[in-house]
Amino acid sequence: MELRYYISFILLTLIFTLLLYYGILWNLIVSFTNYSPLNPRIEIIGFKGFNDLILDEEFRGSLLRTLVWAAVLVILGNMLGITIASLIFQLESPRIRNLFTTVFMYPVALSMVVVAIAWRWLFDHVKGVNVILNQVGLPEVAWLQGGNAFWSLVLVSVWVYAGFIAMLYLAMFYNIDRTLIESAIVDGANTLQIMTRIVIPNSKQGFIVSTVFLTLFAIQMFDLPYSMLFYNPFTETIVVYIHKKFVAQYFYIASAAAIVVIAISAFLVIPYAMLGIKRWVLRR
Amino acid sequence: MEFKELLILMALSLLALLWVFPAYTVFMGSLKSLDDVIGSPSFTPPREVDLTTLFKVLNDMREPLVNTLIVTIPVALLATFVGSLTAYAVYRRFDRVSDITIVLIAVSTYIPYQVLLIPFINIIKGIERYLDLTLFDTLPGLALGLATYYTPMASLLMTIFITVIPKDYIESALVDGAGEFKIFRRVVLPLLGPGLVSTFIFILILSWNNFFIPLILTRGYDKHVALKIFSYVGQSGTLYNEMFAAALIGSIPPLVLFILLGRYFIRGLLALGTGGVR
Repeated sequence: MELRYYISFILLTLIFTLLLYYGILWNLIVSFTNYSPLNPRIEIIGFKGFNDLILDEEFRGSLLRTLVWAAVLVILGNMLGITIASLIFQLESPRIRNLFTTVFMYPVALSMVVVAIAWRWLFDHVKGVNVILNQVGLPEVAWLQGGNAFWSLVLVSVWVYAGFIAMLYLAMFYNIDRTLIESAIVDGANTLQIMTRIVIPNSKQGFIVSTVFLTLFAIQMFDLPYSMLFYNPFTETIVVYIHKKFVAQYFYIASAAAIVVIAISAFLVIPYAMLGIKRWVLRR
Repeated sequence: MEFKELLILMALSLLALLWVFPAYTVFMGSLKSLDDVIGSPSFTPPREVDLTTLFKVLNDMREPLVNTLIVTIPVALLATFVGSLTAYAVYRRFDRVSDITIVLIAVSTYIPYQVLLIPFINIIKGIERYLDLTLFDTLPGLALGLATYYTPMASLLMTIFITVIPKDYIESALVDGAGEFKIFRRVVLPLLGPGLVSTFIFILILSWNNFFIPLILTRGYDKHVALKIFSYVGQSGTLYNEMFAAALIGSIPPLVLFILLGRYFIRGLLALGTGGVR
């Protein structure tokens, strides 16, 4: 395809994509200046923004919280995803398989605000699941109090994404050469052995993809903590921190923190995008 | 064999209860009357079904529901169409230039969009000054914000979906002397059907559920349904029936789409995840 045709075909996408890159560049530039709508004279302040950021205990807390969130979401999301996928993989009937996929997947089709409302009330001290815990004689849990709130929200995020991760693994499972599994059955292997020795080890790519995605979801976590608990210091993620600083018009701090987020994501995403290209090129 | 299958079904059903329970809670809670809400746990069924809350909230949500429809359907259509144009160009070009294009698009899609929205307001303000129109806190402005983020994503999805079309088809059309636009319209678009539907459904659900973009680009709660649902968190205090009713009403469109056309939505998710492995 000639270049002039090529450019006219991709023009609109190109404009929108460049707008997004302009956003990255803007953050980079602003993080080195004292830019603010309240500020008549814009000056270059060098690394002061990043320096202030590192010294800000609230920033360090929110960064750490985001990283812990990512780690736990990756571990639990993969574990639960593999479990659900392995169980669904055993089912013969495509109808029942579809039914369970829908049940486990539906949270990703919901707004996080809706998820937050449902769980906010299940976590309610008086009107939530504590009522059930009481009835079966278990101790009550202060789900949303203090530091507990963080772990409760992490669990909710696992609940949201586990079905999606299960689908990624299921796609991998169905890609595995059936003859491998059949010959293992002939050799007398049981279901558990087939899953743990053949199917799951052959789905390494599912693990890479899930890990990249779950980490990105954790880095972007905003809707869930914000719409359930607003600016709660115990559930403040890095994006909530950026939003808060932006609303308070501390632009250089918000931008410096944005650059940190962009750097972390780029570190994950660029190798992943390159890998995707290689795969497409190999296919053709 | 039979026993094993039964055991697996039981394990799955127990696990599925955890997934059904919150949806059940929201549904039951939205059917409760005021007296019922004050005295009962959030997840119990109503003593008697009371539809007044649902109707009251539905009436209250009419404007944001209509606004969200007006904004998200054109955005999803535009993103899908523009995405298919890009996908075709990338597929036809197939060299370093198209590789770079795709990496640029992919990276911008996966970078957290929240941090790019602050400068986006600057862009919007710039356009406002230059063209002498209002975009901030308007539906076109919101649509522009959503389109900026979702068009590259739709392009990425379509680039993956287009690979199912055999190159011979396009080449034989070229031999027949058809131009690029004609090939795209007559040969490629008809073959892209399922990919177009997947991308459209995917972007429609995502933009319906998006909370951050309307939060930044509009004021008040009436321009987008997610904002409206959020407004009930603050104003209803401990009256969970109203919150649940708002959550239920706002979720019905994406949920119905997901259940009816779920395989298309899943295909979109998997394409983004596995990058066209299947």
